[in-house]
Amino acid sequence: MDRRTFIKLTAVSTTATLGGCSVPGQQLIRFIPEEELKPGLAEWKPSVCPLCSAGCGLTVKVMQADVEVVKDGQHGVVTRGVAKKLEGHPAHPVSQGGLCARGQAAIQVTYHPDRLVQPLIRRGNRASGTLEPTTWDQAITELVAKLDALAGNGHQAALTILAGGRPTLRRALFDQFAAKFGAAPTVVHEVFSDDLLRYANGKSFGAAQLPTYDLGNAGFVLGFGADFLGTWNAPVAHAAAYGRMRRGRPGKRGYFVQVEGRMTQTGAVADQWVPVQPGTEGVLALGIAHVLLRDGLRPATTGRAGALIDGWASGLPEYAPEQVAAITGAKAERIVKLAHDFAGRGPAVAIVGGTPLAHTNGLFTALAVNALNELSGVVGRSGGVLFTPQLALPVAARGSLAQLVASPPQLLIVDGANPVFSAPVAMKVRDALDRIPYIVSFTNFLDETSALADLVLPDHTFLETIAEALPESGSSSAVISIAGPVMTPLFETRGAADVLIDVAGKLKSPLDLPWGSYQEMARASLAPLGDEAWTTAQKQSGWWGELPAAATTRPTAAEPKPRPVRYAAPTFSGDVGDFPYHFLPYASAALLDGSLAHLPWLQEMPDPLTSAMWSSWVEINPKTAAQLGVALGDVVEVTSTAGTLRVPAFINPAMAPDIIAMPVGQGHHSYTRYASGRGQNPLEILAPVAHPETGTLAWAATRVKVARVSDPDGRLIMFSALGELRENPLEGETR
Amino acid sequence: MIRQDRLTRTLLKPLERPGVGWMLVVGVLAVVVAFGGFAWSFMMWEGFGLTGKRWPVFWGFLITNFVFWIGISHAGTLISAILRLVNAGWRRPVTRCAEVITAFALMIGGLFPLIHLGKPWLFFWLVPYPNRRLLWPNFRSPLVWDFFAISTYLTSSLLFLFLPLIPDFALIRDQSTGLRKTIYGTLALGWRGTTQQWHRLETAMQIMAVAIIPVAVSVHTIVSFDFSMAPVPMWHSSIFGPYFVAGAIFSGIAGLIIAMAALRRVLGLQEYLEPIHFENLGKLLLTMSLLWGYFTFNERLTAWYGNDVAEMNTFAATQTGSYSPLFWTMVTVNFVIPVIILSIRRFRTITGCVIASVGIVVGMWLERFLIIVPSLGHKFLPYSWGTYSPRPVEIAITVATFAAMALLYTLFAKFVPIISIWEMRAGAHTQESAPTRESVPVDARLGESHS
Amino acid sequence: MAHRWGMAVDLDLCTGCGACVTACHAENNIPTVGDLQASRGRALHWMRVERYIEGEFPDVKTKYRPVMCQQCDAAPCEPVCPTYASHHNDEGLNAQVYNRCIGTRYCANACPYNTRFFEFFNSTFEKPLHLQLNPDVSVREVGVMEKCTFCVQRITAGKDVAAAAKREVKDGDIVPACAQTCPSKAITFGDLNDPESRVSQLAESPRGSKLLEDLGTRPKVTYLAGAEFA
Repeated sequence: MDRRTFIKLTAVSTTATLGGCSVPGQQLIRFIPEEELKPGLAEWKPSVCPLCSAGCGLTVKVMQADVEVVKDGQHGVVTRGVAKKLEGHPAHPVSQGGLCARGQAAIQVTYHPDRLVQPLIRRGNRASGTLEPTTWDQAITELVAKLDALAGNGHQAALTILAGGRPTLRRALFDQFAAKFGAAPTVVHEVFSDDLLRYANGKSFGAAQLPTYDLGNAGFVLGFGADFLGTWNAPVAHAAAYGRMRRGRPGKRGYFVQVEGRMTQTGAVADQWVPVQPGTEGVLALGIAHVLLRDGLRPATTGRAGALIDGWASGLPEYAPEQVAAITGAKAERIVKLAHDFAGRGPAVAIVGGTPLAHTNGLFTALAVNALNELSGVVGRSGGVLFTPQLALPVAARGSLAQLVASPPQLLIVDGANPVFSAPVAMKVRDALDRIPYIVSFTNFLDETSALADLVLPDHTFLETIAEALPESGSSSAVISIAGPVMTPLFETRGAADVLIDVAGKLKSPLDLPWGSYQEMARASLAPLGDEAWTTAQKQSGWWGELPAAATTRPTAAEPKPRPVRYAAPTFSGDVGDFPYHFLPYASAALLDGSLAHLPWLQEMPDPLTSAMWSSWVEINPKTAAQLGVALGDVVEVTSTAGTLRVPAFINPAMAPDIIAMPVGQGHHSYTRYASGRGQNPLEILAPVAHPETGTLAWAATRVKVARVSDPDGRLIMFSALGELRENPLEGETR
Repeated sequence: MIRQDRLTRTLLKPLERPGVGWMLVVGVLAVVVAFGGFAWSFMMWEGFGLTGKRWPVFWGFLITNFVFWIGISHAGTLISAILRLVNAGWRRPVTRCAEVITAFALMIGGLFPLIHLGKPWLFFWLVPYPNRRLLWPNFRSPLVWDFFAISTYLTSSLLFLFLPLIPDFALIRDQSTGLRKTIYGTLALGWRGTTQQWHRLETAMQIMAVAIIPVAVSVHTIVSFDFSMAPVPMWHSSIFGPYFVAGAIFSGIAGLIIAMAALRRVLGLQEYLEPIHFENLGKLLLTMSLLWGYFTFNERLTAWYGNDVAEMNTFAATQTGSYSPLFWTMVTVNFVIPVIILSIRRFRTITGCVIASVGIVVGMWLERFLIIVPSLGHKFLPYSWGTYSPRPVEIAITVATFAAMALLYTLFAKFVPIISIWEMRAGAHTQESAPTRESVPVDARLGESHS
Repeated sequence: MAHRWGMAVDLDLCTGCGACVTACHAENNIPTVGDLQASRGRALHWMRVERYIEGEFPDVKTKYRPVMCQQCDAAPCEPVCPTYASHHNDEGLNAQVYNRCIGTRYCANACPYNTRFFEFFNSTFEKPLHLQLNPDVSVREVGVMEKCTFCVQRITAGKDVAAAAKREVKDGDIVPACAQTCPSKAITFGDLNDPESRVSQLAESPRGSKLLEDLGTRPKVTYLAGAEFA
């Protein structure tokens, strides 16, 4: 007999034997395996990492394990292939075989002890009621009823979808649903939104998206505040390229300069670190451009990006080194030297992102750096800045969180967003949600926002379903990351996209969604790429290559009469007298924007700068700390115009004296056992200052004051007991 | 013949039926010891994490206690063996007190290689016996040397303690009846007091006295190898062997003085444990204190002068950093105070000696701690430096060891005469029949009697 | 010829991201100790990224250095272990045999790099996190020492695969978890006895040095220096 029959017979006879002598509750029934199994041998299956917008392709080690399941009400054990380890897929253009710490920890999403295992429905009101388990049939019936109620009253526009920031085919499906239903524009909420950069890139280059940097071929890289090797954009792809830039070309080592007020993880590996006044990074960029033009280091251009800068055609007279020095704080000689280095080492590319664009004058900064890149002659060229061709999807209208708060909908569907945590308290998101009669969430974990839901429909995790992402950057050719599932779902979850399609079909006036399932939709989306695209993707975690023109997004047309921008100092909430310091919340290496705080490996991973684990802290420059009488670990009170926090202090010399920095990630009130009630959330005390152009939060526009409260209270846990940063006296051991 | 002279009566008096006071003392001590035992059991049950050990300071209170108690055990050897060998008359009331300290301190100290293990139930893997792992213990490891050294020393110390006990056991046997007679009779090994037996006993004791000295020196040297064989800043020093032995003898004498003073008060042995004994021991203690100061100064000066980067970090931590209060306390109670008290005749009383000794016991415990913890906390890569603080289980065990010592001593003194009766008698004999010098009567006035 | 496994870490490529730290946890069934035990110094980061900062604002320099067990050829942790739990295997690795360890922790004291860690409590993996455990690696019990093994389970698997295919192990067949995950490919692993292997070549680089080389431990990890050699 063959193995499968043998296993079946064994399993059946064992079960019968066990059933015969069972004591209720003592014997675990062993169910028949559903899969072909290879004991002890690993199979590698492709998938896609969902934790950030980079969309790295994965290869997942799958091995046999005993999984506890409930089948037809009976507890038992079944042997299944389960994911054991995630690695970057070697062929995928974004991951290139590597995977960041967060990606490694992503496997804990699937195996999290506090993961939601079945639909939940609220009994009682929001304030005092509880979420109780229910069946899928009941849950879907309930959702259909609510939607029908809206449609029946002609209030379709009272439905809003609130989604997270990653662009995916699944989001496109949600957009389709919203459009066909007649819902209000979907609100996409990202904490550290790059929309301003997208907007600027649209204006400068016609590509309203995140840029890709061909660092591997660059000779000089000039970064403005972007933590591109740590947390920004596509860190794994950037790091791979950075490796090639440094040591991938025999005899040639790329040079890297980072300009920022607080040394990021990326800035730490720069050959030169140039601190400038907050919000003046664009001035420095134009200062360099001025010298390039003045000294004839680059031919003057009359390009689209330059035309957006006031004074460009006349050689940027307002950005001479002395003037730039006065504004930025960088010395004039240094600016001239930088410009010459920039020009003389081969392809020179400038990167901007993160904090500089989070000031109120962020657009100017972005446009200035774009113009510098254009002048450098590296746009669309080797060693420079490129734009990954994007799969054309139906353009969907977008609303803003502010609009959502101003006029809350009747029915809110939450899919991967947590604004109760990640929006400033001053925006009053919580109040707005309290006024929404019905909230539905597709979440796996009860975070702050989903804890307010009336109906929770837990999605499969990425390993249990088709995982996909549409990387905006990280590759010169178009990439669609898509693969999976890698293992059978562990619990009574259902794919959110499939649930939505199901719901669409069950409405009184069913929506005309052209696909019967998520998989159908995914395959259909890949159809323009050829018949082989889907099967290829399934083997290598995605499809990449030349997008047919018809399937590519169109460039943004240039404005006929663009209004050139000039430098204006950034404005802040809180005047410098009462609030002397710039408050700088930043995406932490382990927890990013807080959405990863529930993963224990990431909580325990020592922070690259402080070696802190399971903690919140605030970073203070040593001179400032001395003035305030603050030592390592002391509890300080940080107060903005919008709120106040008490946090332990960390003394950080790699930061200007007037900056107070704090990592984002902790401070969850509800987010599984590992994150709930832990630390402080800097986003809470941000002032709700928005960029006028995009409506996104200018998260670097808050000023604070700081006062010492007490001696250390043990909340700051560091792996290196050597809390203060020290020279290694044994450093410098070279042959 | 039963001799009921005053000497015998006084020295056998403690062996009488215990009173309420004695029971109370034993009871309290037993509770403290039991608490320590409970703490250790709890540690084994819950996990070693109940201690304060951490990365990178993996040894703390438990190893401090180990080294400390092995150190205390050096009292018996020096006093007993050396004084026997040079035939110093004043040793007679002191030898057994000292030998008992050795035996019990070794038993207590020898427990710590078990207590501090991550898997104490596997301690026997340190013993070389044919086993299924097909492996001997690693004879290159100083911990295996410890096993041999301590077991050898314990065996020889017990023998060294037991030999002079035989005549006294015989004495008690001859005055007892029933069960007591049987037990003491067995222990007396059929002693009849014949000339041949005396001769054999004296020969055996001479051999042991000579043999045990190198054993004792080697034991604490080997214990010091636990540290000096590792490339840890301020551990890897050639001074550790002599330093540890000197420190051990130093702490041992201090412990002996305290024990003797307590016995003198509690058992009414004023006539036999006289100020002269304390004064002589005090002089020895002074010598050792000066020697200790010399070694410490040596160690510190060479570290500081040598200016090795890694060593200087540890050095700074102890001299001026977070461990400096403990360090300077140690120097004060180990050197400054004892030298003052013990070198000025007026202060070299029993009380003075006891004060100095208590300080020294504390100081020597601190010295072990300060050798272990600051070094481990300041090795070569500053990112991995760390501090250590003890947690309740370790403190409970530490306190329990002191209680255990007191308990064992109290029990011993109840069942065995704490001063060697036959040696005292032999000494009195010698005094009676010896020429003038020996027959100067003992005078209670300070400093004026010499033996 | 027998293998002699070694590593090279290029400090010019390390970005301090910590992917190697987490990948090591995932691969080697390292328990997460939680906030209380982490505050008591019990976190088990077999691989750690040391960070040093020099200078004062604005002239500040930061350096990252990934540190793991250096698999020393003259390892001070080996002679001191009473039960041969820490011993040198014939491929140059310092093997930690959990079954022989009785937890004296002498090896940890002797290690100059502080790369040895102790299980202070029994490992717990709250279900269903236990499903992630790697079946090729032991889960250690309380009271034993543990450390980086150069992913010996991967080395063994790599040798098995080569043997089954009746060929030699090729350079690049065996990749430890840290090297595989590193986005900038700062970590290289291979056979130092193979002169053609990448790690052998990097070990000869003029940028190369060994950590705490003057202690005489003969570590097998070569660190390639960064910017000074631009």
